[in-house]
Amino acid sequence: MPEAKPLARRNLALLGFLLLLLVLWQAVWSLGLLPSYSLPSPAQVAVRLAELARDGTLWPSVQASVVRMVLGFVLSAALGLVLGLAMGLSALADSCLRSLFLGLQTLPSAAWVPIALLLFGLGDAAIYFVIVMSSMAAMAIATADGISHIPPHYLRAARSLGTSGVALSTRVALPAALPSIVTGIKLGWTLGWHGVVSAELIKSSIGLGYLLNAGRELNDAAQVVGIMLVTIFMGLLLDRVLFAWVERRIRVRWGFAPDTSRE
Amino acid sequence: MTTAAIAGSAAAPARITLSGVTKRFVTPRTSVNALGPISLDVAEGEFVVLVGPSGCGKTTLLNLVAGFETPTDGEVRVDGALVAGPGPDRAMIFQEPALFPWLNIEDNVAFGLRQHTHMSAAERRAVALEYLRLVHLEGFEHAFVHELSGGMKQRAALARALAPRPRALLCDEPFGSLDALTRERLYAELQELHAQTRRTTMFVTHNTREAACLADRVVVLTTRPATIASVVAVDLPRPRNFYDPHVSEQAGQILAQLRAEPTAAGGGLDA
Repeated sequence: MPEAKPLARRNLALLGFLLLLLVLWQAVWSLGLLPSYSLPSPAQVAVRLAELARDGTLWPSVQASVVRMVLGFVLSAALGLVLGLAMGLSALADSCLRSLFLGLQTLPSAAWVPIALLLFGLGDAAIYFVIVMSSMAAMAIATADGISHIPPHYLRAARSLGTSGVALSTRVALPAALPSIVTGIKLGWTLGWHGVVSAELIKSSIGLGYLLNAGRELNDAAQVVGIMLVTIFMGLLLDRVLFAWVERRIRVRWGFAPDTSRE
Repeated sequence: MTTAAIAGSAAAPARITLSGVTKRFVTPRTSVNALGPISLDVAEGEFVVLVGPSGCGKTTLLNLVAGFETPTDGEVRVDGALVAGPGPDRAMIFQEPALFPWLNIEDNVAFGLRQHTHMSAAERRAVALEYLRLVHLEGFEHAFVHELSGGMKQRAALARALAPRPRALLCDEPFGSLDALTRERLYAELQELHAQTRRTTMFVTHNTREAACLADRVVVLTTRPATIASVVAVDLPRPRNFYDPHVSEQAGQILAQLRAEPTAAGGGLDA
């Protein structure tokens, strides 16, 4: 286990860094550098989060945001994969869709909210629309790039083993592009999460974005900062824990990274 | 199952005929005569090794037979039928093993068996295991590609190519990146496999000793555009040892043939 020691040291360093940030934050607050109504202390944030958790406000909102995210993301990933596959296989589809997607990607996810509300009204459909528009293009482009960069000998080997047509796409092209697709999905998840919170910020009666906005309206800085921390935590949880694990496994299996699990 | 089942009679070895084949690569800026004209007849079950200076177009020749490229002039026929594209009757082994990292070794070897739609999953599995045994990889059927050494990967690639019982085997310097010891063992195994399965084999290399060790006939190619400089029949008993003095002697003769080739002006990459 030669990796264990450096890893533990890196985690220790990270922990130390986070503590340092916390101390700095406390110092800025204690010295009164910013008015107390705009910057709460770490302790005030912790107390407020505990209150929100206890009075049953926090959990339903976390749940609502995550459920919206999962549903919207599944839809977005399905569309992104199909369009990306089309782009990867057809130069015509690629030249049309790539420019469109690159253009759309310049829009921040919050910029999709007004048009979503006009198109879909005040329901959750508007939120799903924002998630899809925020994240689909990145996943389509990653899928297309993955397919166009497949090592040609995979395709040649498959063809000389009698594979052609649809089977060549489903049994060879898509799995061969998997490392790139997973990177796209990871990025899409982060972008989609931006989309959910942005949409909830403007129109919703539940969710993390709603709690953020409610905090601002009540001049409750502790709630605003607390919900921001929860949003970061939820985003990181899936990105760093689930997707990073999947990505790592794929990189090892595809021979891009050394296998450290068995040493 | 035994050797009899592997050798089988369902798929007879192919006869490969090239007549007046040339290949020209044209890009907007350049036009390169890569190959030919070449006419060559490879008999059923024959093991032909193509040697030539690097960059001479050996791989292009193999790609034409495999159907990855189409000839500019002339034609390639397998048992009289014009080659129109890649097909499972001609299995190819590449310089890189080209195994699929998303499948385990058994599924890699069984990959080409899907075309035999009459086979059940259990039958495909049985055949895959049989070929893994044949290349001495029993026990590794559940391993993934990154867990194998270079030599084991090429063995698995060989099993994958042979499992669907192709009628011809095309090898593009498959052992080039392996260490000497591994290579030596694979020469022995490849000869054994050829003796058992009798697939018509076209094998490309620039190693003359490899050629002498494996071939029934060695076709010596010129620098680019490759044409046939000479054909050397290797009439040594099998199995041959890589370091056998007779093999060395043959290799020396082939090398002399290669050296007799002048470095063509405009030969491009050729040294």
